[in-house]
Amino acid sequence: MSARDKVTIHKLHTGVPGLDEIVGGGLPEFSFNIIAGAPGSGKTTLAHQFVFANATPERPALYFTVLGESAIKMLRYQQQYTFFDPAKLPNSIRFINLSQVVLEKDLGAVLQEIIEEVEKANPAVVVVDSFRTMVRIPHGSPGEMDLQAFIQQLALFLASWQATTFLIGEYAEDELRDNPIFTVADGLFWLSQIAERNSVVRKLQIVKLRGQASVPGLHTFRITDAGLQAFSRTFGLSGHKSKPPSQRRLSIGIPELDKMMGGGIPEGDSVLVTGASGTGKSVLATQFIAEGIRQGEPGIVAVFEERPQAYTDRAGSFGLDLEAPQKDGTLLILYLRPLDLSVDETMNEILDAVKKIGAKRLVIDSLAGFEMALSPGFREDFRESLYRMIFALTGIGVTILSTVEVDESFTEFPFSTYSISFLTDDIIRLRYVSIEGRLRKILVIIKMRGGNHSQDIREYEITSKGMVIAGERLKNYQRLITGIPERLNRSNEKEAELPRKSKAKSKT
Amino acid sequence: MVSQQTRDLARRLLAEEAALDGTSLTAGSTVSRVYEKLRRNLCALAGVAGFRSLASRALTLAKAEAPSLNATQVTEDGSLQVPSEASDGDELTAGESGIILLAQLIGLLHAFIGKTLTSRLLQDAWPNAVFEDCNSEDGEKHERAR
Repeated sequence: MSARDKVTIHKLHTGVPGLDEIVGGGLPEFSFNIIAGAPGSGKTTLAHQFVFANATPERPALYFTVLGESAIKMLRYQQQYTFFDPAKLPNSIRFINLSQVVLEKDLGAVLQEIIEEVEKANPAVVVVDSFRTMVRIPHGSPGEMDLQAFIQQLALFLASWQATTFLIGEYAEDELRDNPIFTVADGLFWLSQIAERNSVVRKLQIVKLRGQASVPGLHTFRITDAGLQAFSRTFGLSGHKSKPPSQRRLSIGIPELDKMMGGGIPEGDSVLVTGASGTGKSVLATQFIAEGIRQGEPGIVAVFEERPQAYTDRAGSFGLDLEAPQKDGTLLILYLRPLDLSVDETMNEILDAVKKIGAKRLVIDSLAGFEMALSPGFREDFRESLYRMIFALTGIGVTILSTVEVDESFTEFPFSTYSISFLTDDIIRLRYVSIEGRLRKILVIIKMRGGNHSQDIREYEITSKGMVIAGERLKNYQRLITGIPERLNRSNEKEAELPRKSKAKSKT
Repeated sequence: MVSQQTRDLARRLLAEEAALDGTSLTAGSTVSRVYEKLRRNLCALAGVAGFRSLASRALTLAKAEAPSLNATQVTEDGSLQVPSEASDGDELTAGESGIILLAQLIGLLHAFIGKTLTSRLLQDAWPNAVFEDCNSEDGEKHERAR
């Protein structure tokens, strides 16, 4: 069958920010869906958001309440959400209570009642909240319709009447397996919440969705006064085409460091700047972002350890103006500190900012602060989520510079305590060395995936103009990277030069 | 005690209903018709049991203000009933006592779902009336029927 012969399935806006992307662009029109989850997981709110997003006076929504939360109380609470538009009641959204029918009659009568209302109203959306409560009513007379038959007939009828349907039910996770009721559904949305220490982690999964590909896996969501907001595991970038690798180099704003990196950071790379406290990681990051602004490349700085004003003021003390670009919209400094953030929503906030100003450069200062800002339950996902975000952002050409603090060791030379080196294309290591009774600073390029780089160990200083790399490489010392170098005497110098010369000879 | 605004709204509903057949605004039969319209619409929304509990609460509150309602009861289906030994049911809810009962019912809706949604529900029951939100002198939003 050619693409032209295939029926087009229209996709409806879910009304839940982030969910359209997760379900593959929107919910299939006329689909029959089940929203399942434990009490308090957000099922009713999700259904309301869909209803308010799609109901019109011409094609209204019918919201059948059965047993459980009374409609009056439901309206009392749901109207607190910003998506709740009272003007839609009752012409576009009609609430119909079926509790009396359920209590006094059988499921056949409930079905008949729904059919009558649907035929009368010609709705685009039908919700039954909660259908699970119906099965708990013991009727037991012979020939009585069971829940599976009820759902089967309801699905058949509502699809024929061109209604997109949601059935809401309280289910435990193990009930999802092998439950014949779910085979009828075109879509199955599973909502859950898990308490982790003092935080609650909410997750959403599209267990099944007929007709289109949804983003698999568990997605974080949050319930705020705006209702549900979902955060796709692919950060909304799953449909984006990756940019072809760029040959361009981005200046860091430190000429000597640019030279060491073969002309700057390759565009679209992820760079890790690692070093102990006070080595100048944030200064380097600020120079990187300020240089981008100077060259007309909008930037984002995500800070976790200090407030944006303090970050701006500190940049000012190095002669770097971050006030003006914030005012003209070419720089955003995001302060992400709440301790119950999920990693995906934090990254979503960064991504939104990147999209908003068309950022080309992103600074994450620092990864340790980022991790600490997360709810404890999300910290174990940190590396994986970071990987997804870096992959997604660098794929669209954003160059990322992250800082990470490492413990200064005088016996080891760790790149990072987070084992995230694999996430980065380039690593710049800053460290203290003790020379002649002074604590001095050195830097070295550990790796650059995109090409050759200097192997030199260079000394630098933090001056009123920021980081400045001074002089030649430190030739007169060995064991610099231990932090406790030894000064070479002349004979030592010759010995140190020998292996290099013999290596050069063997190459020729 | 319900506010004067809510009582005024109850009076407006009675006026809407009375205008349909030219009966008196405070006649017991007018009160019954307004109550029945509310019952039908609210039963669809909240279920019979839901409406019955609201109506029972409204009647209890109204009895404190209007002792003439003492013999009035809410039945299983939510309608109003007066024991046969009492005088004519319409008489019991006529006049100010009927207004108080309706105002208490509307007052409960205001308390639970707010004035805007209550206004939308009343609009549904009296589609020809024009309800609009407007700012009262004290800055609160309330409904007005014209």
